[in-house]
Amino acid sequence: MKRLTLTLCLASSLAASPLMAADASNADSPTADYRKQWHSDILIGYQGLATQSQDLANQVEAYCQTPSPKGLEQTKQAWLEAFLAWQQVRFVDFGPVEQDNRAWQFQFWPDPKNLVARKASYLLKDDAQITPAKISESGVAVQGFPMAEYLLYDQALNNGERALPANRTCKLLLAVTNHIADNSETLVSDWSGFQNSYIGSDQYTDTTIRAAMAGLEILEERRLANPMGLRGNAKRSVYSADAWRSEASLIAADASVRGLKQHFLPAFSRLLKDREQTDLAERIAQQFDEVLANFPELDRPMAPLLADDNAFKSLQSLYIDVTQLTALVNDRAAVELGVVRGFNSSDGD
Amino acid sequence: MKTMFRPALLALTIAAAISAGCANTTPSDSAASEPATKASVVEHYANLAHAGYEDALITAKALNEATDQLLANPSDANMQAAKEAWLAARVPYQQTEVFRFGNAIVDDWEGQLNAWPLDEGLIDYVQADDYQYELGNAGATANIIESNNINVGGETLDVTNLTPELLANLNEVGGSEANVATGYHAIEFLLWGQDLHGFEQGSGERPITDYATGTDCTNGNCDRRADYLDAVTDLLVSDLEWMVAQWAPGASDNYRSQLMNANANEGVQKMLFGMGSLSLGELAGERMKVALEANSYEDEHDCFSDNTHNSHYYNGQGIQNVYTGDYRRVDGSLVSGPSLSDLVEQNNPELNARLNAQLDASMKALGMMKAKAESSQNPMPFDMMIAPGNAKGASVVNRAIMALVEQTGSIEQAARQLGLEALSPDDAGHSF
Repeated sequence: MKRLTLTLCLASSLAASPLMAADASNADSPTADYRKQWHSDILIGYQGLATQSQDLANQVEAYCQTPSPKGLEQTKQAWLEAFLAWQQVRFVDFGPVEQDNRAWQFQFWPDPKNLVARKASYLLKDDAQITPAKISESGVAVQGFPMAEYLLYDQALNNGERALPANRTCKLLLAVTNHIADNSETLVSDWSGFQNSYIGSDQYTDTTIRAAMAGLEILEERRLANPMGLRGNAKRSVYSADAWRSEASLIAADASVRGLKQHFLPAFSRLLKDREQTDLAERIAQQFDEVLANFPELDRPMAPLLADDNAFKSLQSLYIDVTQLTALVNDRAAVELGVVRGFNSSDGD
Repeated sequence: MKTMFRPALLALTIAAAISAGCANTTPSDSAASEPATKASVVEHYANLAHAGYEDALITAKALNEATDQLLANPSDANMQAAKEAWLAARVPYQQTEVFRFGNAIVDDWEGQLNAWPLDEGLIDYVQADDYQYELGNAGATANIIESNNINVGGETLDVTNLTPELLANLNEVGGSEANVATGYHAIEFLLWGQDLHGFEQGSGERPITDYATGTDCTNGNCDRRADYLDAVTDLLVSDLEWMVAQWAPGASDNYRSQLMNANANEGVQKMLFGMGSLSLGELAGERMKVALEANSYEDEHDCFSDNTHNSHYYNGQGIQNVYTGDYRRVDGSLVSGPSLSDLVEQNNPELNARLNAQLDASMKALGMMKAKAESSQNPMPFDMMIAPGNAKGASVVNRAIMALVEQTGSIEQAARQLGLEALSPDDAGHSF
């Protein structure tokens, strides 16, 4: 089992601190212009995450002060919007998001042994006050979207006495969503501060392309092929997907592809065209649209699609579209651009 | 052919001196007196693998005998001897894990020997309120030992006769990787039992009477538990015999002969790919960073015996072995020969020195983890190191992670230095 979200990515680890001093001599390098655009496009994504995360925390506070069934639905909707904002920028696996395992803090996944439930049960039974410090020291399984999702959606929890709006469950949800909001705000400011070193350093061009390649590979292999039972002798299992509790696995995949299209593709297309790969750039752009054409039709829970062979076909066509996109970016384009993949956290078991 | 001699005082790291010092005694030594070539380095790599799997087999046979003794006479002393045999068997096996990545024949085979984490409720009784199994695993509480028929996901399976073949077929039953019916960790569970101590001091405490006969038997089905342990240790031995044969010299139809007949660049690529993949993704990432950052003892490698520090330590040793060409066998003798280190030295002595220093630094960091875990004063095993709020423990683990990350960077450079741009075997067909 692999946790591909692990940000031990070597390229950026070797770059010492991501906040290292900018190399001004590279600021006018031929590729700096692409990085300038990537920096700005990714910043927009991070700002969206920060806004949605703050909205989520505010909504939780309002709901817990005056609980109502409608308020709970609004809170779930706020969770989903913030989670989808994260999905859009989830591919960025370098720079400030690497610090303090922030990517894992946002989304610890996969979690086959249900660590989220175990940690939640421990924190809900404990008498100690739930403080920001308590969340900070409780590990990545407590600190992000999957924990908030568990508290909002888990059936066993919500059929029991600790169901929302139980006092302690509310406090935990508020502390977790505040942690997410703080992290995303810090991410925006750190990413802004990262601008000079990012634009000034040529190596970040390959790093950015590799991040998109890894994001596509994770989507294809871990987020689709695994739950679809396409690897090894594994059976179909929705528990291998992310966000199965909220039934948002597929809408999250949609968001990740849209995120790549908005925050990665524009500068990447330009780079390809400048290297006289106009046809390839256009094919990639078309393939993004092919993948996205599966939605909103496929904005549905994954479990029923896994349970029914006929319904499964719609998943298969999404999967095929994604594999074609991955092949175009990871094989064709990377080879044309000479982007070499080194060891990364996806090696191993 | 292996080079075997017993220079008790020779340090493992002085590869060049060793290679020179043992020249002209065996074919592989005479090769060592010549400048190393990719072909001679790959051949010696096969020697290292062969010696490693032979040692794994030798120690697995000793484990098998010790468990037979235990079953014939279930005493505390025999249980202790079986546990010690298991711990000894881990030492060579963990050093062979570096051969997994890049050699599909090993990777496809090893799940039956070293798969983890496992849902041990498939095998035997567990304390339900402290047992978190893989979500959706229909076999997680099947308890093979408890009955002659188990039901996994609606399918009923006859498990009356607990033979090695049956257990091999039950591995990953129901399509879940967590259904580990065989291998080191299944044996570990049958010896130690579930570790119910969480982040506290202490490992599994299976009572010896779980193997008692008649009315002394605790937790039921002692005869079937004994049959299981007998079969699963037999299977480990036969699996290792098969892998030793794959790496044995002088055969024309085994994996070694395929490797020797292929382009030497492919072999060198496998060596570096194995070193880098185990260093970064597997050992630093999956086995340490996940457990640490999530404070998750479910992600502890040898969780029943609390031997995780040794599993990590000998994984690291295996990586160093492949680079230096040296392997200290379980009988104390040393295997040495033409190495990657020799090749890099020919082209870039500075890189070679750096990578050797980084491999030493990793072993030092892993050695610190081992020393803390085995300290006679205040032992801190891995599951305590990763406890929430244990800053000292976290720093021990983090130092090992960082050292492994650093050495991986130099492994990538070594690959480029040796003319291998794409390390991933998947990319072999592309013109990088």
